[in-house]
Amino acid sequence: MGEIEDELFRFARTLEGNDELRAVLTDAAVPAGRRQGVVQDLLGDKASQVTTSLVSFVVGIGRARDLPAIIDRLVERAAAEKGRVVAEVRSAIPLSADQQTRLAAALGRATGKQIELKIVIDPSVLGGLIAQVGDTVIDGTVRTRLDQLRAQIG
Amino acid sequence: MTSRGLSRRTTGVRRLVVAGGLAVAALGVLATPAFAATTTKDDAVKVVEDAQSSGAIAKQTEECVVNALKNDDAERCQKAPSPIIPAGNEVLWGGLSFLVLLVVLWKFGLPAATGMMTARTERIRNDLDTAERARTEAETVLAEYRTQLAESRTEASRIIEEARAQAEQVRRDLTARAEAESADLRARNVEQLQVERDRVLGELRGQVASLAVELAEKVVESSLDREANLALIENYINTVGSGNASGSGS
Repeated sequence: MGEIEDELFRFARTLEGNDELRAVLTDAAVPAGRRQGVVQDLLGDKASQVTTSLVSFVVGIGRARDLPAIIDRLVERAAAEKGRVVAEVRSAIPLSADQQTRLAAALGRATGKQIELKIVIDPSVLGGLIAQVGDTVIDGTVRTRLDQLRAQIG
Repeated sequence: MTSRGLSRRTTGVRRLVVAGGLAVAALGVLATPAFAATTTKDDAVKVVEDAQSSGAIAKQTEECVVNALKNDDAERCQKAPSPIIPAGNEVLWGGLSFLVLLVVLWKFGLPAATGMMTARTERIRNDLDTAERARTEAETVLAEYRTQLAESRTEASRIIEEARAQAEQVRRDLTARAEAESADLRARNVEQLQVERDRVLGELRGQVASLAVELAEKVVESSLDREANLALIENYINTVGSGNASGSGS
């Protein structure tokens, strides 16, 4: 179940960050079979069958625009059943298991909650991490530092 | 002058002429000179007597001539009268004629002459009065003209002065307006230049910042290798775990 959640979560983030993919999957003019074929091409050999079927189903009924929210709600409910909250963490490089464990513990101490990490590889952060737990964002990325520098100079 | 007054004056003149004619005839008769006899004494006496009887000469003259012829004293009657003192009858008739003439003239001529003189005087006085009135009126008109001329000149001077003052005021207003517009234009130009300068500086600053950040990004990307990224991640974990990290609400 954890693997399926991760696959769904990563697809949702990919869909949010890729305008062209979102435009194709949400275009009502494109036949549903065609949209499902795109999903099949993207996830067929990279994700589990359950993940591919769930995404294909949502896209087939024309709710691709709501797919990120649906997946987020699903992940949150799955985490809540385990007494945890989802922490979305973005990093430029993959984190090791040890780093994930220590990061979850650190975020748990910072928020006072049991944390379930959802790691998103995002090269745009350049370096460092940014974690969002509910409405709380803890930003330690190089990208944010550069943006702050740009704002100060400009 | 009325027609009745004119008729009365004409009648007076006529009477004066008639009286003068009578006086001249009397003087002519009375002044008939004595004549000397050139014929014989008897013929001369007879001629004298006939002349006296016919009334051509006076009785006194006839007696003088007859006596002179009879006494052969022709010098007696041929004695020339005094060149200064006329004969008595001449004085008498001349005086009477003069008195008659004087009375006639006093009675009829003098009133007519007085009337004419009075009328003439009155006419002349009227003419003089008319001329005086005309002169006075002319002087009044001239004075009025002069007054009007002076007023006109004064009015013209005032109008010219007002026009000059108005022209000066218009010139001042135009100058002030032009200066104000020029100052406003300069101020707007300065303001536009300032705004444009600020805009250019802002854009330049933004471009410089963007270039600097892009340069920094390239430097960071080139220098931020895996080891450095792991170090940043470890630093993040340690910072969050130590409770020093501050979160922000999204």
